[in-house]
Amino acid sequence: MDIIINILSMTVPFSVALLLASIGEMFNQRSGVFNLGCEGVMSMGAFVGMLVPFIAGQNGALSNGWNWLGLLLAALMGAVLGLFFGVIVVTFRAPQGIAGIGLQMFGVGTAGTLFRHFVGGTQSIPGMPNSPLPLLSKIPFIGPVFFSHNMMVYLAFLFVPVAWYILFKTSWGLRVRAVGTHPRAADSMGINVNRTRYEALALGGAMAGLAGAYLSVCQVKMFSDELIAGRGFIAVALVYFGHWHPVKIMLGALLFSFTQTIQYNVQGLGIDLPYEFFVMLPYVVVVVVLAFTSRNQTTSPTSLGKPFNREIRT
Amino acid sequence: MKKLVFALVLFIALIPAALFANGAGETADQTDDGQYKVALIIENTIDDRGWCQSMHEGILGAMEQLPGKIHYEYSERMTTVDSESIARQYIADGFDLIIAHGSQYRNMVSDLAAEFPDVSFAFGTSSDIIADNVFTYMPESEETGYLSGIIAGLLTKNDNIGFVGPVDSGDAARYTRGFMLGVEAVNPDANVNVAFTGSFSDYVRSGELATTQILAGADVLTGASQQAIGALRACAEYDNVLWVGQDLAQLDTPEGQAKCVAASAYNYTAVVVGLIESLDQGITGGTCIPMNFNNGGFIFDYNPALSSVVTDDIRAAVDEAIASFTASSGVLADWADVQI
Repeated sequence: MDIIINILSMTVPFSVALLLASIGEMFNQRSGVFNLGCEGVMSMGAFVGMLVPFIAGQNGALSNGWNWLGLLLAALMGAVLGLFFGVIVVTFRAPQGIAGIGLQMFGVGTAGTLFRHFVGGTQSIPGMPNSPLPLLSKIPFIGPVFFSHNMMVYLAFLFVPVAWYILFKTSWGLRVRAVGTHPRAADSMGINVNRTRYEALALGGAMAGLAGAYLSVCQVKMFSDELIAGRGFIAVALVYFGHWHPVKIMLGALLFSFTQTIQYNVQGLGIDLPYEFFVMLPYVVVVVVLAFTSRNQTTSPTSLGKPFNREIRT
Repeated sequence: MKKLVFALVLFIALIPAALFANGAGETADQTDDGQYKVALIIENTIDDRGWCQSMHEGILGAMEQLPGKIHYEYSERMTTVDSESIARQYIADGFDLIIAHGSQYRNMVSDLAAEFPDVSFAFGTSSDIIADNVFTYMPESEETGYLSGIIAGLLTKNDNIGFVGPVDSGDAARYTRGFMLGVEAVNPDANVNVAFTGSFSDYVRSGELATTQILAGADVLTGASQQAIGALRACAEYDNVLWVGQDLAQLDTPEGQAKCVAASAYNYTAVVVGLIESLDQGITGGTCIPMNFNNGGFIFDYNPALSSVVTDDIRAAVDEAIASFTASSGVLADWADVQI
């Protein structure tokens, strides 16, 4: 029983960075913009998020406040990069795939360079402490699994229903879905397609920046150039996995982290299989599930990846 | 509007140029006659508290030992694909010795060595002899792993030890097996939970793996390669969990001061001095330089901040092992037989 609790209690916090980034990417894609630069935005977020508490120091009553300020600034940095991406793909209508790869390189390279210039080598910070919720964390099984983590974990999972509400129950969410599905029709209804896409990109960028900062401030509590290590691309894959729906994306992030945690534990059992098999297991699971669920893609934004030009009839 | 957008894009593009207009400051002093021009190519950075930093510091140490003999430059973050172009640049600039620090550079070194027979190359870890102008070096890390294993085996209170490995190859594989031999020698009842992240530099995954092992009961952990810093950081989150380091640079971190009982390190100064002395003798390659305690290739030290946890038994066992390694090489010749 203990091992099950351990696995599940690690699955939840380990999934948060993927959850935040992939829900942000979902907003991008729901508006019709495919942002492969998520990795770069996460990297910049991780750097900015860690930089604030690193510079400010971690002593005194304000110590956790600097962590929150770092997270906030990381989200702002992500939003700025999202808008920057918007300039390239919405205003200049550059091919989104190539531009995304460019943003990924820009973000990873800039974060690494700025880190070396202003901080130096690999550095750690005390980071955000765990905040077990009173009473709830004492509930057998459920307590350690869901209520014994840092505050960002709770906020990230609370954001799932919020994202669902924003996307499906607000007029802004309706506009986002409209410009991602049929931008010309949305335009004819008076919706400013470019503006809506900019807004979605800013939100998606902020989420990606926050995801990166979660890693550097709340989970690993350190920064290095390669901290993100491909998680931005996994986040993009999880959006497809979750059929552009926040709840399904959350399940995808949890499944990936669950499989990851399982393989960490199974490696130590002495099973006579190459360790490479266990290391690749989470990716194989995601690919297999993706393959079996991709036949029903009716929820995909039909204008995903297509630039909108109101001067040209398509 | 478009002018404004264009100006914004131009401004963002020019920020790095403005920030780093003075260059990265990598170039060493001007060369003089009689100096060897030595270049280092690494995949990470010179301050990664691991693999690359140890070679960088080794070269700096050799420069101190051989004053005025070495002109040194380095290139960081060189992927296997990028490494050839920077190596060609160094060759064009008249460098005498190019150290490509990683076995992933083997093919690049092999190709360039054939094309430029007057230039010396070195890469490791490898014990293969691939050309007359290529040196290789091979840390016999089973020795440092053995010391870490002794310490972990005697420190553990519940006979549950964690090992956060990168991949099972090269010197990491030797360290892993040496560690298991060390634990076995002093505490046969202890269980070593060996697991790999599959990466040398995924700090997040190594931290997650360490957390997994700690929650599974491990009270002493170790790990190999630069990714081990992530695992060490994870250890710092838990009371009553200790760490044994593979690199002395780990002791310089706050979490290392708090958790790392002792660490070994590669002493690349001995390797680089050996390379320069070989060049002096007209030997430009064709040999493998092993690294072990016997030839000064390894150093070991305890963390003074945690001296209270190091018992006399631990010190005696470690001293005995180091004495045997120093007396002769190949003491742990059966390391490869250890099954994980």
